Amino acid sequence: MGWRHADQEGVTLHRYAWITLVAATSTVVGVIWDISWHRSIGRDTFWTPAHLAIYLGGALAGGSCGWLVLRTTFAGTSEERTAGVRFWGFHGPLGAWLCIWGALAMLTSAPLDNWWHNAYGLDVKVLSPPHTLLALGMWAIQLGALLLAAAQQNGATDGGTLRASGVMVAYLAGILLQNAAILGIEQVGFPNGAHNALYYQFAGGVFPLVLVAAGRAARLRWPATAAAAAYMAISLVMGWTLQLFPATPKLAPVFNPLTHMVPAPFPLLLVAPAVAIDVLLRRFGPRRDWVLSALSGVAFLAVFFAVQWLFTEFLLSPYARNFFFGVDRWDYSSRLGPWRYEFWRVQADPVTPRALGLALLLAVASARFGMWWGNWAARVRR
Amino acid sequence: MGQLGGAREAVKRTLGRLLTLGAVAFAASAHVGSPDTYFEGAAGDYPIRVIIRSPGVVPGLAQITVRVLAPRLVRRVLALPVYWDPRTAAPPPPDVAERVPGDSTLYSAALWLMRGGSYSVQVTIEGDRGTGVALVPVQAVATRRLDLPTPLAALLAGLGVLLLAGAVTVVGAAVRESVLDPGAIPDRRRTWYARAAMAASVVLFALLLVGARAWWRAVDAAYRTGLYRPPHASAAVRSVSDAATLRFAIDDSLWTNPNRRWSPLIPDHGHLMHLFLIRDSSLDAFAHLHPLPRDSTTFETHLPPLPAGRYRVYADIVHESGFAQTLTAGVDLGPPGGAWHASDPDDAFIADESGKRDGGRAKGTTFALADGSTMTWDSGDQAIVVDREAPLHFQVQTRGGEPAVLEPYMRMAGHLMLTRFDGAVFVHLHPAGTISLASQETFLLRQPGDTTRGALGTRLTQYERAATTHAGMVSLDGSVSFPYAFPQPGRYRLWVQVKRAGRILTGVFDAEVVTAAGARTVP
Repeated sequence: MGWRHADQEGVTLHRYAWITLVAATSTVVGVIWDISWHRSIGRDTFWTPAHLAIYLGGALAGGSCGWLVLRTTFAGTSEERTAGVRFWGFHGPLGAWLCIWGALAMLTSAPLDNWWHNAYGLDVKVLSPPHTLLALGMWAIQLGALLLAAAQQNGATDGGTLRASGVMVAYLAGILLQNAAILGIEQVGFPNGAHNALYYQFAGGVFPLVLVAAGRAARLRWPATAAAAAYMAISLVMGWTLQLFPATPKLAPVFNPLTHMVPAPFPLLLVAPAVAIDVLLRRFGPRRDWVLSALSGVAFLAVFFAVQWLFTEFLLSPYARNFFFGVDRWDYSSRLGPWRYEFWRVQADPVTPRALGLALLLAVASARFGMWWGNWAARVRR
Repeated sequence: MGQLGGAREAVKRTLGRLLTLGAVAFAASAHVGSPDTYFEGAAGDYPIRVIIRSPGVVPGLAQITVRVLAPRLVRRVLALPVYWDPRTAAPPPPDVAERVPGDSTLYSAALWLMRGGSYSVQVTIEGDRGTGVALVPVQAVATRRLDLPTPLAALLAGLGVLLLAGAVTVVGAAVRESVLDPGAIPDRRRTWYARAAMAASVVLFALLLVGARAWWRAVDAAYRTGLYRPPHASAAVRSVSDAATLRFAIDDSLWTNPNRRWSPLIPDHGHLMHLFLIRDSSLDAFAHLHPLPRDSTTFETHLPPLPAGRYRVYADIVHESGFAQTLTAGVDLGPPGGAWHASDPDDAFIADESGKRDGGRAKGTTFALADGSTMTWDSGDQAIVVDREAPLHFQVQTRGGEPAVLEPYMRMAGHLMLTRFDGAVFVHLHPAGTISLASQETFLLRQPGDTTRGALGTRLTQYERAATTHAGMVSLDGSVSFPYAFPQPGRYRLWVQVKRAGRILTGVFDAEVVTAAGARTVP
């Protein structure tokens, strides 16, 4: 067996990095699918394909990493064991432990969620304690997959492995960006929100964290850009695919009789600020993190603001109402009206210099945390 | 008559020839301790029995079963819950009910009741006799708070401890070893850092747990506030010149608060309120009265000469939304006064202080009615079991032993009130089951443009006034049956009311209801 030979250990880890990457993808695909399911069909059971994709991700990550840990602990050489971290007498890579933890969290959420539905009603609110536990489990799996890829990258001795694992790190950072976008669907999900202060405050607070971390952690020429591109690619492929599936709303009230699944709104153009971050990171090198964080925050917000402000105006125009951009697709329970093509809450939450100042502070803080996180992830070896 | 014609036209427009409601007897509902809906009636040419099991939680899944009671070739059974408010109803396509394996006449489906309030479930039968539709009113209300079962709580607690300990360990491992080269041993400094990080993470996770607990408690508290409870009411007796008057007042701020928009009350077979008095603990005195409204919160009726004592009061009302409620109160009655002038010709009472009655399980229990005729409960020789169809079949015979002809009593061949001795259950049944006739009619008469409060009630009154006597309202052979299953085990008393030769007659019976496990031990 491969892991019995130290020189093949890399190959084996490589396999687990790939399996957990597939698992992480499965969870995020499941979540996007599930959101679309609830917006298009409404009713669900335990057995919807979206749910199955989520569980598959958990089972794949938990099962494979559990197996890895057991084999390393009981059948591995002493080098293999000391190549991981200790955990209650067991040995395995840190990423594997996160994946196992995530799978256990997902498993725990299942009976709790089932009871929750029976006790308090069917998904009265999406953000419930059992759903939060499920989300934590999925994030742990995605982060675990990222750490497995990072450990592999950081210990790579040949160019091919380095490059492949760098791409994997960036891709998994893209999945984390996707998570952040899903979490903020109310704040940054719809182009109609792009003339609100909250839109930029949320984006500033969340995205620089992942972009800067990816910029530091993934050994690529354009790491943050690659992560942003991965996020956009996942969004677009899911959006285009979902639109092809027929769907009939099954819950009252049906004000908008759909025929096909509702895609998620067009993704944020995070590639643009990501390019700016990559340029900054490359130019300033590793030693001036505070200055770099401040600059990254400023650059992110400036580019993001300029791009999104204008691009969302296009998205609300008739030119964007087509398959490619997938906009103007609304939930079955929406009463369609002129609000579809308007910027919302412009009076209530206007973009003022003061509001942008807060967004800037958040972006700088977010970038600084991202820097810490990325620096660590760039050094993870186990 | 013009308006009436309009109303009739509306009915035709809305449901066309599909509905043959006139052939069915219906009645008032909401009830105490009996959340499930039982309905027996006709969907076109298909006699059906429908049972809807309440999920007890909103939004929730109610289970509906439809049994076709006559040999018919049925192609498809459809079920569709429609919310009462036409502005927000917009239902999806109906669900096809699946045939229950092993039973060729039984179909079942799940109903997604997503909002609290009044629904009508459209049951459509397609088969060799064309398409028939029946409307079954059902109320979606949260009635119970589910406890976390101990085994599940233990499992979750165990997993929770494992997750917490695991998370702290992961933090420690990340700080201690994650950035070391494979094979390297962590030095003292790293070990101490790891311990500090674990301690910090314990504090952090503890705070998160406290937050999660507060969150859960807030959800639970909000849910408890949303649990259905009928508005508070109180009853009192006032004596004026030898005649006693019962005053029933809805004195709940939920009711009087102008911001709380209850839809107006509508008459259920001619009465805004059906009020029942049952003497506490002994249950040996019973009255079925119809108080008249004094104002929007107070109802009054002349009190029949019931024996003194503590009484339970149940009052059935129906809203224009189709929402039916049973309000409860208690009242102490003094010694009966002088002559009783009933406020309403449909008022009736029975008092029997002998306290002797046979158990309902005895086959062929017979009760002597006030006019000399008899009422026999054909309860069969099987035990009455919780949640199984109860044999509520009654036969009225004349003094000479001939089947008696039963007249419509409030547009019904019979009324059955039952209560558990401890008062945990009170139900008002009719041959059509637990449903409210008025609820059903409001759904029948509802129009998409109904936005004026009270308009529907007016239309309903006109509709009822124009309604004639149908076959379902009378019984030519003296028999009357009620579809129902007892919700809880225990001892029950039943009052069966019929009308014969212009006189309201009440038969009284007792029943012992057992659990399925208890039934197996009965020989």
